[in-house]
This record gives sequence, structure tokens and C-alpha cells, in this order.
Amino acid sequence: MAASSIGAIGVLAMFALLLLRVPVWIALTLVGFIGNCVMSGVTPTFALAGTVPFDTGSAYTLSVLPLFILMGEVASVTGLSSDLFKAARVMLAGMRGGLAVGALAACACFGAVCGSSVATAATMTRIALPEMRKAGYEPGLAAGALAAGGSLGILIPPSIILVIYAAIAEQSLPKLFAAGLMPGLLLTALYMLVVVVVAWLNKDYAPVGESATLRERLAAMRDPWQFLLLFVATIGGIYAGVFSPTEAASIGAFGAIVLGVTGGRLSIKMLLRAIENTVVTCGILFVIIFGANLFSFFMVQTQLPSLLAEGAHALNLSGPMVMALIIVAYIFFGCFLEAIGMVLITVPVFLPMVKQFGYDPVWFGVIVVIVAEVGLIHPPVGLNLFVIQAHAPDIKITSIYRGIVPFLLAPLALIIMMFLFPGIALWLPRLLYG
Amino acid sequence: MNRTQAYLLLDRLRVAQLRLASVALIVMMVVTLLDVFLRYVFNSPIRSSYDLVETMMAIFVFHGMSTALLTRRNIVIDLVDSFAPPFMVAVLIRISDVLTIATLALYGYAMITPALQAYNYGDLKMELGLPVWYLWAAALLGMAGGILCALGALIAPADPHHEQEPA
Repeated sequence: MAASSIGAIGVLAMFALLLLRVPVWIALTLVGFIGNCVMSGVTPTFALAGTVPFDTGSAYTLSVLPLFILMGEVASVTGLSSDLFKAARVMLAGMRGGLAVGALAACACFGAVCGSSVATAATMTRIALPEMRKAGYEPGLAAGALAAGGSLGILIPPSIILVIYAAIAEQSLPKLFAAGLMPGLLLTALYMLVVVVVAWLNKDYAPVGESATLRERLAAMRDPWQFLLLFVATIGGIYAGVFSPTEAASIGAFGAIVLGVTGGRLSIKMLLRAIENTVVTCGILFVIIFGANLFSFFMVQTQLPSLLAEGAHALNLSGPMVMALIIVAYIFFGCFLEAIGMVLITVPVFLPMVKQFGYDPVWFGVIVVIVAEVGLIHPPVGLNLFVIQAHAPDIKITSIYRGIVPFLLAPLALIIMMFLFPGIALWLPRLLYG
Repeated sequence: MNRTQAYLLLDRLRVAQLRLASVALIVMMVVTLLDVFLRYVFNSPIRSSYDLVETMMAIFVFHGMSTALLTRRNIVIDLVDSFAPPFMVAVLIRISDVLTIATLALYGYAMITPALQAYNYGDLKMELGLPVWYLWAAALLGMAGGILCALGALIAPADPHHEQEPA
């Protein structure tokens, strides 16, 4: 049997296992292990299975993952998000849809210290949703804005998915963090535009709240200084080349703890909870990364990605057409695959093909994160939608589905813009790292 | 020993591993922080910080997975839950529990040979001078704890409502 056929059978077997409720890490490991046995024999596969977990689990470069997750966990429990929302709310007071726009701005800022989409959506929902509902916002619009805003957490650096993409695609993490910033800010602006347009078209969806004086607005800008400090120290430090990602993550985690303790908002109990959450989250992530590495070795051996690329060439498909097909595939996978699992399963298959068509892997990493974001918010199974419904069970899921639809246009518009102007993602890494 | 007692015992193991992983995380953070501080302020970085972080990572990762395994906090595509009868879902959860143990055992078995090689060749961490087999031992112990915790999941109810969402 041809190697590529074995690869195709492996991919199908993995999806079958996933649909049978087998955890992602086990599906990746079993298919990777059996596939490698078939391709290169049992002894080399055992050698691989013995060294992959150890090499991955003790890799210095991956220490950035738990440290950034710890920073996000501490930021979540200390109520940093609350300061951000209060500041954004006052600054945008008096504007139609101002609360929703403010929530989006707070989500973007919180995403810049959190890195997790679900955590951003959950945290901001707790704070902003009651206020928006009290102000008379249509529940679908309020929930849609928060679900969309939550997804910004995985694009704006430090992004956990970008860390994982860097590991699996062997790309520079600082470059990826630099590449994610502009698209993240642009997507925030696009989401805000959606709120403004929806509020303008349906005046009763987002009532105008009380205005604030210039003095109040200026005073509000002072509140989120802690966020600014953390962002400048961590991401700024990486961009400036002062710190490595691991060093920046350590400084960020420690800084968040110090700010929480000195501000009287972080007890020992809360800190322990944040640390334990970090351990558990990483426990889930690392076993997936072990499996993804085995699966990746298998894919390389089957040459399935090369065959797919050759097939695309034989069909005279252009680069943009291939990329469009890949994006459609991602949106489809996003219907039932969790974002990190989706990245780990698909990148080994798609990335070699993308490179063959001349696309930059850093640019592709940002595209992958954007489509992963779409997966988090598009019906029927967008995780962020359920996170919001869990916090507001009285809002019908159909109402949330309806509310999120206009927001789906924003990431799709961003993807088109990134095709037309790749510099949106590549300008900053080129400026900083050449 | 009945099921409940066995589960409680495994839960203690989980808590111990969770605490060990938590300590490793804190050490990782503090060592990196001190290294940066000493480098920029006194131009005297901690020479073995890289090795220390790698050592702590091995402890953190291999001991940190036990909680996720015992409480089944796996990332799962649960589409089948919406249309399959509850007993079928329970059967699938049980199959996953067994596969979890088998997969961990596979990793654990595969890790023995390279661990023994590290021991026999006397490999050392370059800066710290620590024998590399210490790290392998920590990893294998973590893996053994993980397998035991996965056994704990096998004796827990196979109910999707008892599964916890990933953190």
C-alpha cells in the first residue's frame, strides 16, 4: 500500500476515534504510534515514543506555556478585568453601544495578559453582561459581543495557541507574537464596528447610556495601569529583545502575583487556586503535544502533505484557492474540534503544503489562530457561546446564535484583508526581527 | 479495600503530585526571575538556570497530568452525547478510560529504555552537573502516578456529567 494511502487511512481513523469520544491526546497518540509502526517498524517507533514525551516535557522553550498560563490565571482571579471594563465603560459613556464597545476593548486588553479565549469570555461575561443587561441591551447583542471579544484572547499576544503553533511548526515565538498584534487590534476594531452598525440599525438593541465629563474620562484612563505595566513588561520586553519568551512569562506571572498581593486582591488561597488551575491546564495540553508530535512524525513519513500539494498543482489550483480550501476545512473542523486540538491535528498536514505554495509560516500561524477563533464563536458548537450561556442560563442559546452572526463577518473580513495585505501580520515581525 | 477507599487513596496521590508540580512551577518562575535580575543588575546570571528550568519542567509536566487524568479533564468531542443513549455514552467513556491506561502504559514502557541508557551512559546536565537519569526517574515516577490516577478514573462513575471541563 502506498505511504500516502496509509496516511489518509490514519487521518480517517483519527477522526473516527474523535467522533467515538476518544480524548484528542489518545487519538493522536494511537494513530501516530500505529502509523509509525507500519511505516518504520516497531523498534524505531518505541524509541520515538520513549523520547518524545521526555524531550517535549523537559523542553526549556515550552516552559513559556505554564508561565504565561499562570499569569492569565492570576490576572483572572485578581479582578484586573474589572478595572479594564470600568475604564472602558467610562471612556465610552454616552455613545450608542458604548458598553458593548467598552466590553470589547476590555476583552482585547485582558486577552493581552491572559492568552486564553475561554478565560477571557468567562471573566468578561461575569463583569460586563449584568451591566449591559441592566442598561437594556438586547441579550443576543450583549452575548455576541462578549463571545467575540473573548475569542480575542487567543490572537493578541501572549497567545497560548501561538505558543503551541510555534512548537509544532518550529517557528520563532517572538515573531509569532509580533505577527499576532496588528491582526488582533484590527479584529478588535472590526468587532467594534459590528457593534456600532448593529446598534445604529436597531436603535433599541443598545440604548445610549449616561455621558461622562472629560475629567471623569481622563481619570478612568488611569485605572488600568496594572494591565499596561504587565503588557509592556512582558510583550514589550519580548518585542524589544530584552527578554526571551520564558523570561517575559516569568516576569509577567510574578508581576501579576505582586500586583494582586499589593493591591489586596490576591489571597494565598486564590494564588493556590491559580497555580493548581495552571497545573491542570498544562496537564491536558502537554499530553496532547506528546500525541501531536508522534502524529506529526507519522505524517512526515507518509508524505501525505506533499501528495496533497501535488494534487493541488495537478488540478491547477492556485495558492489562494488552496488557502481558501484550507480555511473552509478549518471552519468545518471548528464545528466539532476544540481549538488547540484542531491546531495540533491539522498543522502537520497543512503546513508543508502551505509552505510549498510559498506562504509564510508565520503568516499562516496567524491565519490558523483567526480560524480557530471563528470555531470558538460559530454555531452550533462554538465553545464561547456555551461559556456565556453557562453564566446567563436565562438567555436562550438561539438568541446567542442570532447575536453572534454579525460578528462572524469580522474575522472573515480580516482573513480577506490578510490575503490582500499580508503585511498586516508580517510588518511588525519584519520590523523587529528583520 | 472497597472502591471508595481505593479512589480516596488515589486522590491523595493526585493531590501529592499536584503539589509537587505546583512547587516545580514556582521554582521555575523564581529561578528565571532571579536569573534575569542578576543578569541585568549584577551582570552575573545564574549559570545553571536553563538546566534548572528543564529539570522543573520534567517534574511539572509528568506529575501535573495526574489531576487531569483522575478527573477526566480531557478534551473530548462529545457530539455523540446528544443522540446516543446514556448507556452507550457510558460504554464509550469506559473504553476511553481503558485506552488512557493503555496509552500511558505504552509511553511508560517506551520510556524505560532511554531512561536506562541515560543511567548507563552517565549523561549529565551540562551546567548543573545533575545526572540526566534523575530527570528520567522523575518523569517515570510521574508517569506511574498518572497510570494509577487513570485507574482511579476507571473505578469512578462513567457519567459525562461527572467529567469536568478543561480548565
